[in-house]
Amino acid sequence: MASTQITFTTSLIMIVLFVIAIIGFSIGFADDNDAIMKISDDPNMSYLSTNTGDSLSTFKDDSVGTYESILSSTIEPGSGAAQSTAPFAVTPFNVIGVAKNIIFLPYYSIFGSSEGFGIFFTTFGAFLAFIFGLLLYKTLRGNP
Amino acid sequence: MAYLYDLPNSTAGIDAIAIQTFDSFPWMTPLILLFVYFTVFLGGITRQKIRTGTADYPTWSVIASLSILVIALLFSVSSGFIRLDWLIIVVSLNILSAVWLFLDKRSSEI
Repeated sequence: MASTQITFTTSLIMIVLFVIAIIGFSIGFADDNDAIMKISDDPNMSYLSTNTGDSLSTFKDDSVGTYESILSSTIEPGSGAAQSTAPFAVTPFNVIGVAKNIIFLPYYSIFGSSEGFGIFFTTFGAFLAFIFGLLLYKTLRGNP
Repeated sequence: MAYLYDLPNSTAGIDAIAIQTFDSFPWMTPLILLFVYFTVFLGGITRQKIRTGTADYPTWSVIASLSILVIALLFSVSSGFIRLDWLIIVVSLNILSAVWLFLDKRSSEI
């Protein structure tokens, strides 16, 4: 079940990122080329873009919160499993921190410090945390 | 010689001819976009079926949608080629194709 949930969440995240990318590209193209027809003139498109961005932010907060709640959960003794996820608690966040530092150097070199692209890495980091959390749950307690 | 239509002013450049043609026949833009979409979509799935036996419909739909998005964005630079609502429909078609693609497959196949 966890893998199904991961698959489904991946699909939804990809859809949201695709929507932001397509609308962002169209708006950027119109701005760069002084287009007569601008997609940003349509209120529905701007509304959709803003809403999907907000949904991504919510997903980021929720997934990190879920991950932390899984880390702090415990299992009754005698069940044959580790009692807590403490062995996993330190590693992923430190690894993610190192990975972010490594990624940000080429990221700033290529994309600059614009916030428009940042949402992709933020979402990717949140998605990694979400998958980590679900896999930890699956490892310790079996399929949710 | 009498023509059934007004000849476009060819001294102003080829884009003026195109704009005048599009102005006379407003459905030209959507028909061009539909033609490109179905050429890529049907051509892609037909060739893939011949080569592999199965066709990947959502992927070809996304590729065809992206093709017409590029054309529609180029049309949007100058006035007279495309209306805003057609541009919105093209972007919406892209989004729907992406939804179809991402919900159709397992993540390992994307």
